Amino acid sequence: MLVSIQGLTAALPPGADRPLAIDDVSLDIAANEIVCIVGESGSGKSMTAHAVMGLLPRGVAVTGGRILFDGADLLQDSPEAMRKRRGRDIAMIFQDPMTALNPVVAIGRQVTEQIRAHRAISEREARQQVVDLLSQVGLNDAVVLLSAYPHQLSGGQRQRVMIAMALSLSPRLLIADEPTTALDVTTQAQILKLIKKIQTERQMSVLFITHDFGVVADMADRVAVMRLGQVLENGVVAQILERPAHSYTRALIAAVPKGACAPLDSAEGGPLVEVRGLSKTFRRGGLFSSRGAVTVVDDVSLTLNRGETLGIVGESGSGKSTLARCVIRLLEPDSGAVLFDGADIAKMKSGQLRPLRRRIQMVFQDHHSSLNPRQRIGDIITAGPRAYGENKAAVLARAADILGLVGLNLESLDRFPHEFSGGQRQRIGLARALMLRPDVLIADEPVSALDVTVQAQVLKLLDDVRRKMNLAMLFITHDMRVAAEVCHRVMVMRNGKVLESGPTHTLFSAPASDYTKSLLAAIPGRGRL
Amino acid sequence: MIRFARIFFAKPATILVFAAFIAIVVTALAAPLLFARGPFTIVGMPLLPPGAPGLLAGSDVLGRDMAVALAYGARISLLVGVASTIGAVGIGVLLGAVAGYYGGLMDELLMRVTEFFQIIPSFVLLMVLVAFLQPSLGSTVIGIALISWPQVARVVRGEFLSLKGREFVQAARTLGMRDSRIILTQILPNALPLILVVGSMMVGSAILTESALSFLGLGDPNLLSWGSMIGGARSAMWVAWWTSVLPGLAIMATVLSLNFIGDRLNDTLNPRRQR
Repeated sequence: MLVSIQGLTAALPPGADRPLAIDDVSLDIAANEIVCIVGESGSGKSMTAHAVMGLLPRGVAVTGGRILFDGADLLQDSPEAMRKRRGRDIAMIFQDPMTALNPVVAIGRQVTEQIRAHRAISEREARQQVVDLLSQVGLNDAVVLLSAYPHQLSGGQRQRVMIAMALSLSPRLLIADEPTTALDVTTQAQILKLIKKIQTERQMSVLFITHDFGVVADMADRVAVMRLGQVLENGVVAQILERPAHSYTRALIAAVPKGACAPLDSAEGGPLVEVRGLSKTFRRGGLFSSRGAVTVVDDVSLTLNRGETLGIVGESGSGKSTLARCVIRLLEPDSGAVLFDGADIAKMKSGQLRPLRRRIQMVFQDHHSSLNPRQRIGDIITAGPRAYGENKAAVLARAADILGLVGLNLESLDRFPHEFSGGQRQRIGLARALMLRPDVLIADEPVSALDVTVQAQVLKLLDDVRRKMNLAMLFITHDMRVAAEVCHRVMVMRNGKVLESGPTHTLFSAPASDYTKSLLAAIPGRGRL
Repeated sequence: MIRFARIFFAKPATILVFAAFIAIVVTALAAPLLFARGPFTIVGMPLLPPGAPGLLAGSDVLGRDMAVALAYGARISLLVGVASTIGAVGIGVLLGAVAGYYGGLMDELLMRVTEFFQIIPSFVLLMVLVAFLQPSLGSTVIGIALISWPQVARVVRGEFLSLKGREFVQAARTLGMRDSRIILTQILPNALPLILVVGSMMVGSAILTESALSFLGLGDPNLLSWGSMIGGARSAMWVAWWTSVLPGLAIMATVLSLNFIGDRLNDTLNPRRQR
């Protein structure tokens, strides 16, 4: 065994939601294997990885157990000995490569510094090594990249630089803490492939932290499932995926969206929203300067029928969110028409638009910022009807129905948003939208910030609500699996343009464009879950 | 509220400073009750040192009781500090909120006006304003408010810019709320802690500005303030130190305690600095 974690226990500071961050965790990592720790947020998976690195956050202290690295207990190492190990024996890559790189230092210097901190070699030699490393991680213009700054690279390139840095001293263990969570799905697939390739070539061990069972299926040799600081089960990947012993593991695997949305039964509801030739261009610069324009949505047309869910799928920068915000008139489209129930709302003045606003509502992505932290839930969910002049008491009387529909109880009304979990806050956001009895619901990545089991619940809720209230839903997502699960029809966007659209089943089984094919191919764990 | 007090008073020095500030405020409020004869009455020989019979803080160049003058001076200093801050915060919040919320041309326009006020040497502008309006309590307050608001406007604009992008504000727009209502019920409550912090700091600087004006003889001639006390003591500075040092200490204690309280408010209320 390269690494053997034995009975590791670490305490959280007093006042945390549970006493132990890591509770009696035992885990082995053999040479030349990839071990995945999978769990939801707060499961202690990252804490375990940081403990191995000797980088637990302030206030979290190891209270028992051992971490043997090649036979030596890391917990007995002096801080100086541990510092020398980092990078040389154990290296780590992080979730967000933008914040993990120093923004004001050129890439070349960041990586050479790392090498020269550990080895007495000249600047020239170090540079040569860096060029080699960068080409090994698939960065072709390595020499040019040396003088680039982090913000000039794409997310995928930055993560490759991080991997190059981690590999620079040929560590025996690479810890990867959700290294692809912040990346687009096609980039994620490339980075996962890269990590796997490097692991095989160098015969390294990898400890891979993830929340996604799809990634586990693609990457792991062995898997440990964690919840609330404890390892629930631990075994070879095939065994965990096919015969999970613990009910929680089964729930996690079942919660991964599989994409089984049946086509709409009552096919004809008639079109409710028609978008024709919509474009939106952002101009940068102020009164005295102009720094060019970016066309984010480029001549997009779509039709949304009553009672139907239309998915808009694309990677970051595809213009899907901007399109949604133009449809609901949070942004002013530059050209094109948005016909809502026959009336063009694209250029309507705000006075005319106001009575129509209540019929199109939106659910947002970020459950932290989508609710006003200084208002009680009762004020938040009655805000819509009150904006149209109803009094609060009358609206509250109706609120019980909607609260029941989204699965919240009446006591919630007197509490503040921070007292709720992410999934509950998303339900509150939905209740706020539904209080106006809208005809159209726009959901902008409503589940992408949620844990997978909560995600499954919210997706089911959205579908129930759509059916009960006969809503037309515009569902924005970057996740093909989620789209396949809830959308009747799907539209694929890239660089502001619609590449193709069609019934979900047809589009997934016979995609017309190469880009859609690559999106489908990039779905982690495809065919194995 | 209890949670607020616990964090606010977490540093022991806060209690001391807060008590000192309360003492200054109480003295100012109670001055007419304590010293009914007013600060301008001559009570004895000029330039008697502190501790002379019946004169706790000595007498000034005209033989008036320094202790009474200090108490009455506190009234003017605090009144000017608070009133001009309220004025400055009022103008600053209004313009900053409009500029930050609407952005675009409105923002450009209002910010250029703000910059116009910021690039003029503010004290010179103040002297011109006060001289133009005739020196009086009212003109001092208006003048100080007019030179102080740009700072508030800048801060409030920045806060509104960041808050208006938050999803709960966008949600309010999709619900059909009117702009005025969004500004008042959604954004402003979230910007309030920051405004409070900036305001508390501003009271201190307004007191300093008022002192400087009065020192130069541009204050209300019918009222006694700490600044005018120091101004009147110029000729006796070398023979009777207490005539200038005592009001100077009073200014220092008040401004320091206000800054300290502002700092603590910032630590307690500013969400960005929370642990």
